[in-house]
Amino acid sequence: MGAKAKIMERTGKSFYERLYLIEIFKGMAVTLGHFMTNFLDNSKLYVRHYPEVQPEIPARWRGRHRLTKHEDGTMKCVACFMCQTNCPAKCIMIEAGERIDGRSEKMPVRFTIDLLECIYCGYCVEACPMDAIRMDTGIFAVTGADRQSFVMGLTALLATPGAYTEEEYKKGGV
Amino acid sequence: MAEKVQLFVNGQEVEVEAGKNLIDAFGAIGVKIPHLCYHPALGADGNCRMCLVGIEDGRPPIVPACKTKVAAGMKVQLDTEKIKKIQRDIMEFELINHPIDCPVCDQAGECKLQDYYMKYDGQPSRMTVKQVLKSKQMDFGCGVVHDQERCVLCARCVRFTRLITKTGELGIVNRTDAARVTIFPGRPLHNRYALNVVDLCPVGAMTSRDFRFKQRAWFLTRSASICQGCSKGCNIFIDHNREKYKDDIIYRYRPRRNQLVNGYFMCDAGRMTYKGENDDRLLTPQVDGRAASLDEAIETVRRAISEAKKIAMLVSPNASLEQMYAIQRFAAAIDAALSGYSDGCVMAGDGDGWLIQDDKSANRASFALLNIDASKAGFAAAVSGADLVLNFLNDLDRSLGEDDLTQLPATAHLVSLASSLTACVARSAVALPVASYSEDAGSLVNCDGRLQRYEAAVLKNQPLKSLIEVTRLLGGSVRNIQEARAGLQTAVAVLNDVDLERIPADGIALTASEVAHVAA
Repeated sequence: MGAKAKIMERTGKSFYERLYLIEIFKGMAVTLGHFMTNFLDNSKLYVRHYPEVQPEIPARWRGRHRLTKHEDGTMKCVACFMCQTNCPAKCIMIEAGERIDGRSEKMPVRFTIDLLECIYCGYCVEACPMDAIRMDTGIFAVTGADRQSFVMGLTALLATPGAYTEEEYKKGGV
Repeated sequence: MAEKVQLFVNGQEVEVEAGKNLIDAFGAIGVKIPHLCYHPALGADGNCRMCLVGIEDGRPPIVPACKTKVAAGMKVQLDTEKIKKIQRDIMEFELINHPIDCPVCDQAGECKLQDYYMKYDGQPSRMTVKQVLKSKQMDFGCGVVHDQERCVLCARCVRFTRLITKTGELGIVNRTDAARVTIFPGRPLHNRYALNVVDLCPVGAMTSRDFRFKQRAWFLTRSASICQGCSKGCNIFIDHNREKYKDDIIYRYRPRRNQLVNGYFMCDAGRMTYKGENDDRLLTPQVDGRAASLDEAIETVRRAISEAKKIAMLVSPNASLEQMYAIQRFAAAIDAALSGYSDGCVMAGDGDGWLIQDDKSANRASFALLNIDASKAGFAAAVSGADLVLNFLNDLDRSLGEDDLTQLPATAHLVSLASSLTACVARSAVALPVASYSEDAGSLVNCDGRLQRYEAAVLKNQPLKSLIEVTRLLGGSVRNIQEARAGLQTAVAVLNDVDLERIPADGIALTASEVAHVAA
């Protein structure tokens, strides 16, 4: 609170206000006025027509995860387990194996993120030494019909592209 | 006790054991001196220079701690600016050509180079020239993978093959930044202790093919235990981990120091016995080849015991001392002939006089303590005419040849209490799963008569009952391991003065003098 606190004067003590019904009707009139205005012209509404109109997501927004790739299409992840170690929700499960695409020597065989367990804290992104995991897909609402559909596998994580250019992402949005 | 000498470390007077070098002597009182090439089993080599310490008023004033014996009145400096600069500079040298591929390196988390960088270095690289590239992922044989770029050329592995196994497969070729550890062309590592170089390597240059990429070191829980691959009873760490939604799994065995048994090492075959603890386990009770509940299986066996005219009992030389005692008491109670026949565990000529023994069972010496007969004749006498054979952990198929199988009367019920799914278990009328040694506690007597104790390391999601518990359910009188220990203490003369609940970490030799010494 502090210096900015504004002390409101308590109303409701006068005779008319204590009659109650008069004030009720005055309030109803305000509601009816708003209803009529919006009913005749809804372009000035204060709500977004979601999902037809999607919100603008800044580049720093921590959305659904993805695994990034090198220019040649090989995955950047080397299965170092830093994200799994750092994850406070313990929602990342990795299984490592020998690398088969010619880069270094280790890669994930399985890489699973359970989005129902994830708390979207972004620690995995911070921990990654290879910039292999990012939360820049711009996907902020994940929907599914069953629990299993929220468990993201390696292919799904690799398939999602980033929603921003490299410059936007590095700059961290406007 | 050993002789002590007084000397000074960083101006403080301390008392350490005489005759040792500075690293060992100070290590024993908790003062650590960084070192890469020195290993107590391999001796001082003095090539890494990481252990340089200052000696006040000494000539020379700076000496390698691994090569310097403690002397009375010596004034050792570990934290002067000069020593700190030396340590920082050595680390900078070590890291010039190091690939810093910690994300893919198995050693990360237990790496000396990582630890020392954080403690003694902590500065960014000043190198602007290209790093020297060397070979990676070299197959050195025996399941050892070598990475020359990560190597710090401490020569521990080279000295191990020369001094310990005396096979000398490894060497360092070339000089300066072209120096590398390698094998002779076409002559890979070929000895039965080769995987010890993986433990010896202070960095990630030597990795094990078997353990490679399976787990990160910091996820593993290390539990002290005893290897049961042979009768030597090497002290080990069981490194295990329970991953999310999965079961507690063992990932590797590592040797645990016990100067009186195995020193710092263990054999490769013993290292791989962890697989038997994970795979091919008997998990559900079986009655006539189908899965059954434990109650039903127990009831079937109890009925068979009450109806049987002659019962034979077989005990495995891998059972712990406490288990053997419980089984022996049970055998006496139901008047069964007890045999420990298990000749199949002995591979004559396989031992090498050091760690590997002929006898691949862990606790045969306890047969002598408990007077359990293990002869073939005794076994034949026990099973002839028997209509019920109760088998406790014994893998009979290893001992019996094809023709000997007929010795088991065809009509006899075979009941097996087992932890792993062997052929013998598969053809048992009733099979009861019991906890294996990594999930149970017990005591073992090794081939040299040393009594050692191990605790339960692994806790499965669905823990199996211990052998003593199942024996109790079958009608045995011993309730639990404490009761077995108390019983052993009174029943076995040599254990009279031994507290089985408090066996020292190094074990205790079952000779009159040592028992008296430890008991006192």
